[in-house]
This record gives sequence, structure tokens and C-alpha cells, in this order.
Amino acid sequence: MTDRQLARAAYLCKQALIVAMAVGSVVWLAVLVRAGLLRNGIGFDMRFLWSVANFDISEGSLPTLAGLRPFSSTDTNGQALLVGFINTVKVSVLAIAASTVFGVLLGVARVSRNWLVKQLSFGLVEFLRNTPLLIQLVFWYFAVALKLPGLSDASVWLGGVILSQQGVFVPSVVAANGASLVAIWAVLGAVVLAAAAASHRGHRLALLVAAVLALGTSVALGFPFRLSAPHIEGLGVAGGIGLTPEFGALMVGLSVYTAAFIAEIVRGAILALPKGQWEAAAALGMSRRATFIDVVVPQVFRVVLPAFGNQYISLAKSTSLGIAIGFSDLFNVYGTVANQSGRSLEGVIIVMLAYLFLSWIISALVNMANGRLLKAGGAK
Amino acid sequence: MTSNFIALRWAKRNLFGSFSDSTLSLICIVGCLWLLGSLSHWTFTTAQWSAVSDNIRVFMVGTYPSDLMWRPWASAALLSLLSGLSMGSIASAPRVLTLTLLGATIVGALAAYASGNISWSLSLACAALASLGWAAAGAWRSVRKGSAIAWAVGIASIAWLLAPAGMERWGGLLMSVLFTLLASVLSVPLGVALAFGRRSRYPSARLLCSAYIEIMRSLPLILVVYCIWIVMPLLMPSNPGPDLARGLIGFTLFFAAYVAEYVRSGLQSIPRGQVEAAQSLGLTPGQVNRDIVLPQAIRVVMPALVGNVLDIFNTVPLLFIIGMTDFLRAGQMVLVNPQSGNTTYEIYAFMFAVYLAMASLITYGARRLEARMAAGRT
Repeated sequence: MTDRQLARAAYLCKQALIVAMAVGSVVWLAVLVRAGLLRNGIGFDMRFLWSVANFDISEGSLPTLAGLRPFSSTDTNGQALLVGFINTVKVSVLAIAASTVFGVLLGVARVSRNWLVKQLSFGLVEFLRNTPLLIQLVFWYFAVALKLPGLSDASVWLGGVILSQQGVFVPSVVAANGASLVAIWAVLGAVVLAAAAASHRGHRLALLVAAVLALGTSVALGFPFRLSAPHIEGLGVAGGIGLTPEFGALMVGLSVYTAAFIAEIVRGAILALPKGQWEAAAALGMSRRATFIDVVVPQVFRVVLPAFGNQYISLAKSTSLGIAIGFSDLFNVYGTVANQSGRSLEGVIIVMLAYLFLSWIISALVNMANGRLLKAGGAK
Repeated sequence: MTSNFIALRWAKRNLFGSFSDSTLSLICIVGCLWLLGSLSHWTFTTAQWSAVSDNIRVFMVGTYPSDLMWRPWASAALLSLLSGLSMGSIASAPRVLTLTLLGATIVGALAAYASGNISWSLSLACAALASLGWAAAGAWRSVRKGSAIAWAVGIASIAWLLAPAGMERWGGLLMSVLFTLLASVLSVPLGVALAFGRRSRYPSARLLCSAYIEIMRSLPLILVVYCIWIVMPLLMPSNPGPDLARGLIGFTLFFAAYVAEYVRSGLQSIPRGQVEAAQSLGLTPGQVNRDIVLPQAIRVVMPALVGNVLDIFNTVPLLFIIGMTDFLRAGQMVLVNPQSGNTTYEIYAFMFAVYLAMASLITYGARRLEARMAAGRT
């Protein structure tokens, strides 16, 4: 054998050794865990997912073939975990949306020319970034949400928002009594057409006209939707959409915390723009505001999306802290399932896979959006 | 030009540049004044700070037995001295300042002792030790060089000091700080190994390390900690280890993935020519990595690693999931105590203030370190 072949053989041997060591340690761990489980008199099996849960979940709904329905204690453990996962996704999506809006505003405030606004937003961002998320969450829950007035003393804000110890209630859109099906479809069609008009450049006018026509049809048939404002009825609330205090605290806490990080990203991106851009726009006679909206914002949004994606993933992961304030997210439901069935290890594997799935979905969506944005902007 | 005029011009430019600017400024000024007014009114008249001072022991050490209190005090003294040493190594201050601080704290401690306030006296004595460390590290180079060894010996002695009460009784701010230190130190070697693995010559090692890093970064910390906590008794049924050790393993495994990413960026910043030059001098790949690449890379990522310490400190409250009493949980124990009554906001204000103070300290350290690195000093 030549030296070359010898080196090649050594390289392959080392490769094989690394793989063997990795596989070996995983197998070794698995064997140890299995032995440990057997010593406790339990095997490793997933059948607990199909056995009856025997506990209730305070919020969330279970998707079934017949539509959504509340979880009941006669459902299975697997369905309980599904309800928890849906709650996790729900709070993640809402908090991601809220944190983006608030974070961008805060980031713009960070580079404001107004000294006071700049300093205030700086202080807020530093405060949020430098204290633990968990203390912020428990503060929002125990010191804000649970200190709101009880339902009987709660006042109604803006004609339809009730903030109370029992939760937050906001108006919702419901189908009016006796609405015609055609009118409902016409409204939905108008929304779709308007959305298409907003995103599509080619046939914008035609799409807009079609949207207006569809809307006109539905109004002519008697507008099929009405606003349902919540109002206090006896000991509860009728109408509108209710958020539990746990959900509200978790959503607000996560959005505000993440907004601080998003603000820093936005600030960095704005400051990274060459100064010449501002000067060129000023030379063209554009006002500062016009420069900001037409020159700065489009370029900033082209670069910040990947960084936003990281924050979205860490937000979705942080929903697991909901257990500290009793929100029924995936991790919390898993805790109950593990307690009831004794299947901690099997459950933890499912929960890990669920979080990996969630992280990767967010990452894929952000990458897709980023790709579209780059293409729309004409960048390679 | 009078200074009055300059102030007016500054205000015009920065606060009242345009109509919308002025409106915004006015709203902010009124809002801030109102907020400041009501906050200071609350702080100085309404708030019952006795809720904090009466429970200060719970905040600081959790449920540590009260008859062994000299042990946490001795640990706090050691920690103060070591922090002072580190502060002196990264932030040199004029000797007049450090010596004045030292004198003032000693006098304060003696005065507090004379007036019979033992806790204040001991706290000021800790502050005096910190200033002593600061002054010493500023004065002698050998002290600065030895601070790493001092930390190792110090942490070991603290563990030995606190051990008699049993690890499950460690708690409060002291436990949070100790846990942060241990997790920060332990996650570095594993992180460095992963970072090297991720750019190894062997595709299998690259794949394994990348997979580990990506998976860890996609999972919530609380889940990793909990998972390790339930798996350890299965692996070691006779002695699953105290909660603290199990939590430490979870934190180390989790934060090593983040350290690996920081270190990787540091490794990438080392010019290729350095490696080639070292190789041409006849150094083996191991020597090149150990003696040429790693020291420079670590220096580059030092500020990021200090930021990692802050991340760890801010996530230590998650240990509540395995039943440990960190600073935040100690605060919640005080909150549920019926004697605390209606003092929720006082207790939260205190906890937020402590967390902010610790974060400022760590951030200040990171900034000084960064400045030193930029200046090319060790």
C-alpha cells in the first residue's frame, strides 16, 4: 500500500470509529434507561396515548371530524396533548404578530430624532432585555392580570373591551341571524379579492373593482355579519371573545419581551443603512417621514426577516414557561399527563418532537417569506 | 451665547422640531412627570418596604437553616472578594477611588456593628472585601494573573462551606449566583469541543455536532432540564444526584450548544494564514488548535461568553420546574406568605431591581472586557 492509500484507510477507520462511538453511546444510554424503567416495573410503550385522560383542561378546544369542541376528561391522553399543542401554537401566533408590531414601533422609536422618545424607548428595551422573562410573566399574571377588578366591578372600555380578573373580553364578528348564505360568501370573496389586489401588481384595478362589487352584493342582500360586543350577564359574560387571564398574561408578557429584541434588530438595520441614502433622499427634496416610509422601511424589511425568525423561534419555545402561571400549553398538559399515567419519558419524547416540529415550521415559513421578499425586491 | 440659550436651542432641535414632534414630546413629558410623581409618592410614602427587609434572608438564601447562617455569610464574603478581583482585572480604577471605597466600607461596617445592626455590618464588610479585591487586582499584576485559580478554589470552598446543610437547602440569590457561575464555566469546555467538532475533517463528526447544536437550540430549556431530571434516576438508580447537580447537567448540555455557536464564530475569525504559518513551523494539528487558534478565538468571543453568563443568570428561575428555590421562587414564597399581605408590588419592585442590578454589573463587565480586547491587552 502506498502512503496515500494508508492515509485514506486511516481516515476511513477514524470515521467509522466516530460513528461507532456515537451509535454505541446512544444504544448504551437506551439500554441503561430501559433497565432503569424495568427496575421500576414499567416498560417503554406509547399505548398511554390512547387511554382515557381523566383530567380536565381549563382552556382550548379539540379538533374532531365534527368540528371543534371543548376537551372533556373522557378523551384520551393523546387528544389532551393535541389540545395543549394547539394552545401553544395559538399563543405563539398571536404573540408573534403582536411582538412584531410593537417591536417595530419600539425600534423606530429607538432611532427617533425626538430625544425624549429615544431615551424612553432605550430604557424600556434595556429593562425588558435585562430581566428574566419568567419574572416578567409572573408579574403580568400575579401583579397585573389577577389584580384587575372582578367582573362585577369591571368597566367596559372603548364600547366593548372588558378587562377583568376573570379574563379579557373583546368584541367578535358573528354571523347575523337569518343571514343569507350568498351574502356570507360574497363578503368572504370580497376579502380574498382585496387581499389579492394588495399582493398582486398585474390586475390590481380589476381585482379591486371585483372586490367592491362583491361587497356591494352582500350589502344589498343585507350585510350578514354583525359585531358582538361582550356584556356582563349575571356571573358571566355573554358575546364577544374571551381570553383567560393566563392566556392574556402569557401573550402580553411574551410579546412585550420579544418586542424588545425585535426593536434592537430593527434599530440595527436602520442604522446599518448607508447615510448616503438619507442624504440622497434629502437632496431630492423628500421629507424625513417620506424618506423613512419610501426609502428606509422597504430596505430594512428586506434584511431583518431572518433575525426576526430567530426571535419567533425563541418566542415559541418560551411559551413553555406558561406552566409557571398555569396556562394549558403543551408542556403543562404533558406534566399532567405524565403525572396521571406515569409515562414521563415517553411523553417527553413526544413533546420534544412537537417543539422541534414547531421550531422548524417557523424557520421554514420565515425562510419562505424571506425568499419571496428578496425575489419581489429584485435582489438575488 | 448664554447656556440658557444653548439649552433652548437643544430643546428646539431635539424635542420641538416640528408640530408632531412637539405633540409627542409634550405627551411624553406629561406622562413621565405623572409616572415619576406617582412612583416616587408610592416609593417614599405608601410602599411598605418592611415586607422586603423582614424577609431578606429568604430572598438571599431561600430555606437555608438559620442556625448555619455563618456559612452563607462566609460564602458571600468569598464571592465579594473574588468579584472584586475580577472587577479589578478588567476595569482598572484610580487607586484613590478604590482605597477610599475600601476605607468608607470598613468605617460603615464598624459603625453598623457599633449600632447593633449585624446584617448591615456584615453586608458592608462584604463590600469592603470587594473593594479590597478591586484595589489589589489594580495594584499587582500577579493577583490579576491568579484570578482564574482564585475563582476555582473559591467556588470549591463555597461548595464545601455550604454543603453541611444539604444541597437541597441551597436557595435564594446565593444559589442563583453559584448556579450561574457553575453552569457558565461547565458549558464552555463542551461548547468548545462542539465548535471544533462542527469544523472537523470528519464529515461524521461534523454531522453529529451540527445535529446536537441545532436540536438543542430548537428545544425549550425548561424541557431539557426537566428531561435530564427525569432521566438521571433511570441511569443511576442508586444515587440520582441532588436536584442542583441534575439541573446543572441540563443547563450545561443546553448552553453548550449556544457557546459552540459563539466559539465557532470566533474560530472563523482567525485568519487562515495563522494556521498555515503554524503548520509550516511543524506544529501538529492538535498543537495548532490548542496553542494558536483557540486562545485567539476565545479572546474574540469573550464578550459573547459574558453575555452568555447573563443569559444563564436570567434563565436560572426556570429551575422551579425541578423544585429548586432560586431568587425568583424565594420571592414567590415570600409573596404567598399570608404575613406579606398586600405587598405584591413592593416585592416585585425589589426583585426587578436586584435583577437589573446584576444584569448591569454583568453588562458592564462585558463592555469593559470588550474595550480591553479591542485595545489588545490581556
